[in-house]
Amino acid sequence: MVHRIPLRGTRQRRTIRQKELQYSWRWQLEHWVPIHHRKAWNGDINNRKGQIFKKLIGLDLMVGISISADLPFSGQVLQALHQVQHMLSLARPRFGPRESKKAMLYSDVGRLNCHVTYTTFSTPIRGQGFDNKEYSSMLHKALEGAIILETFPKTTVDIFALVLESGGGDLPVIISCASLAIADAGIMMYDLVSAVSLSCFGKNMVIDPTSEEEACQDGSLMITYMPSRNEVTQFTLTGEWSTAKINEAMELCLDACSKLADILRSCLKENASELTS
Amino acid sequence: MMSTKGYKPESGLAAEIEVEAYRRLFPLQYYECHLAESVRPDSRALGRARDTTIALGPVPSADGSALVKIGDTTVLAAIKLEVMTPSIDSPDVGSVAVDFQMPPICSPVVRPGRPAEAAPVIAKQLSDVIMSSGMINLKELSLISGKAAWMAYLDIYCLNADGSLFDAALLSATAAFSHLQIPLVSLNDDGKLITVSEEVKDKAAVEPVNKENRKLTIAVVPFSLTCIVHGKYILADPTSEEESVMDTHVTVVLDSKERLVSLYKAGGAVLLHTSVVKDCIVLAKQRVEELSEILRESLSAMEVD
Repeated sequence: MVHRIPLRGTRQRRTIRQKELQYSWRWQLEHWVPIHHRKAWNGDINNRKGQIFKKLIGLDLMVGISISADLPFSGQVLQALHQVQHMLSLARPRFGPRESKKAMLYSDVGRLNCHVTYTTFSTPIRGQGFDNKEYSSMLHKALEGAIILETFPKTTVDIFALVLESGGGDLPVIISCASLAIADAGIMMYDLVSAVSLSCFGKNMVIDPTSEEEACQDGSLMITYMPSRNEVTQFTLTGEWSTAKINEAMELCLDACSKLADILRSCLKENASELTS
Repeated sequence: MMSTKGYKPESGLAAEIEVEAYRRLFPLQYYECHLAESVRPDSRALGRARDTTIALGPVPSADGSALVKIGDTTVLAAIKLEVMTPSIDSPDVGSVAVDFQMPPICSPVVRPGRPAEAAPVIAKQLSDVIMSSGMINLKELSLISGKAAWMAYLDIYCLNADGSLFDAALLSATAAFSHLQIPLVSLNDDGKLITVSEEVKDKAAVEPVNKENRKLTIAVVPFSLTCIVHGKYILADPTSEEESVMDTHVTVVLDSKERLVSLYKAGGAVLLHTSVVKDCIVLAKQRVEELSEILRESLSAMEVD
């Protein structure tokens, strides 16, 4: 609970995170934040507690992170599905809170709107760029609990996520990316939200699945998590599961979430120090 | 970010209020103060374009893609190829469909559910320039005469709109076409075309239809420069703020052989003298040299990889 941000009114308690993120209510965002997720796995079953490496991708002004992870696996490894996943998404809160529409009723907490859109070239077969209503509402629900809405009454924050390339596990990437963008915009949050999904195939589980893996999964689980507060904001479970396996899968996901959050946090720090220097 | 160099309020209100407030309240006067000193608020000279970078292949699942940044303007172009049946009138040519999108992520002006007005205009200009400049030979997109040809879908997304969108879009389009790698296809038993993956191409069973010509030959490359004309001043490569304050835009498109491909001057309050148009063309010529160097560098860097 070290990183807890004080609620409005307790101004004297400045926290570590406030200093870290340079909360300056920078509404005009100058930087957008793409997340570059990558999973590589060497097929070594014994390497259960792997490491997550962090690497900045050098596309000039972008704040980008690339994750190359040997995430822990249990049971047998599905060698056939071994591959490197590629997924890119982009989120950006819309230029800070704006005044809510006149037609809307007065509200003493802020409103949050989420829009998830896909580009025409994001899917293997070219489709029309489409809005994903389901993901939009899932994103909204995942973030609602993390943002301190009391800090901007009568106003609305719009969050737009644009999926540039879809390679499986889209929603967790969208959520992590959006929470990073919100933090970058200086909107108050209780904690960063990191999200990880997991697919199960019979006895085996694969973390951060690719679209091929998702197509043949027996069940899936997604957790969005605030590691510093040890709170889960969203939990979805579909398909066939046994109670024991749910427990194991949750452990794996939560572990991966905390590692992901560390990376997100250091990415923010680096960006903040770049801006000030 | 903001340079106050060249800003010397002489008297009156301008001398009393803060620079940032003055900028917001009297944007035109603020710019004129700068222009009189031949400098712009971002400390550029009037005829200078912003720093430009090209990254090739940011979307691996597309057949060709490029991310272009001109200053803060960021544009992503990707090409996907699909097999189509060519029309009877022109059996041995493929075709290109150009689309330009401005999602709400790119600018505070664009609202969700209400597409940006500028987007279809830029899309049309782009497709005109790409077709009329002779940059790509559509015959190269043919696979089997009268039976099959490639349809190239060029989709350009503006990720951050900070002025000179057409320049960035055109540069990303040419970069994406230079990066385009045509996939191998072969005929299956039913006479349908299927794509051949890289791993199985050595097998004798499948004979690719298009063994050669995996890259398009780009004969001439069109480059463009947008200028803003305000009184006697010509500002190259304007930012969105400059575009909103001053309203006479001239876009010059030249190809790599310094031939004029097109010239747009869409309305605006100021009538242009021909000498001003000539000056714009001179600026565009310099820009073409810069841009072709940048494009050449990024292409050669890709080949090294």
